[in-house]
Amino acid sequence: MTGTTLTRGYVIIWIWLLALMTVSLFANTLPVSRPAIVTLMFVVAAVKAVLVALNFMHLRLEAWLIYAIATAPMLLVFGLMLALFPDFVLPR
Amino acid sequence: MSAATPTYAGTAGAAARGKVGIWWFLASEVMLFGGLISSFVISRLGGSAHVEHDHLNVTVAAINTFILLSSSYTMVEAYAAAERGDRRGMRVFLGLTVLGGLAFLGIKAYEYTGEITHGFTPWAGTFWSFYYTMTGLHALHVLIGVIANATLCLGARLGLERPYRVELAGLYWHFVDIVWIFLFPLVYLS
Repeated sequence: MTGTTLTRGYVIIWIWLLALMTVSLFANTLPVSRPAIVTLMFVVAAVKAVLVALNFMHLRLEAWLIYAIATAPMLLVFGLMLALFPDFVLPR
Repeated sequence: MSAATPTYAGTAGAAARGKVGIWWFLASEVMLFGGLISSFVISRLGGSAHVEHDHLNVTVAAINTFILLSSSYTMVEAYAAAERGDRRGMRVFLGLTVLGGLAFLGIKAYEYTGEITHGFTPWAGTFWSFYYTMTGLHALHVLIGVIANATLCLGARLGLERPYRVELAGLYWHFVDIVWIFLFPLVYLS
């Protein structure tokens, strides 16, 4: 790798991602309730996704238009899921 | 650092258009994977798709997660090298990203082989249908990313590189990584 330099900020983000992956892997061993473990896993996943989007995809440097394009479909998917809850998940 | 820093006159417009275009494409991909993932979540919460943890190889999936997270890092380093005009660095990091993608696909193929030989085929139940659809579609996206990155790596060797192309390929690759970030706990851990 002579002549090839590493970017410190990206290395730090990568280490964080690996650390958070380790937290997810060992979450099942925590002495807390199952819903709490599942919640922790998805909070960790969301944090990892935000770290990748903001730093590796450089979303934090983008204009509002890119934010709008990126967030609109996520809101639609979330809305779709919530709209289906009464029919498929909630007891009748 | 390479001997000469290349100039990319006239690419600013193409880069801006390309970036908006790739984000629109990624938005449609969010709907595709979001629809699938939300269907799986609803099926699980509704009680019709029980995860068969005992038949999934979490260790292998964790190794694949490590590989994909690391390849996302090498991809962003490839872009940083391209921005610096470091052609060699760009080629090295793109090559590492391609290797990461190929390793992911090889491990996934090994995992599928083990599951199918034990009778857990895509038609073995609701969970397995979701499992193969979600992870198979994701693997297809990894394959497309590998081809795109390998093409860029070859282009860099021939002196045809443009930093914005590496950025656009990187946006796609990081998106594929984000999809796996959610699939891993959803399918293997929770």
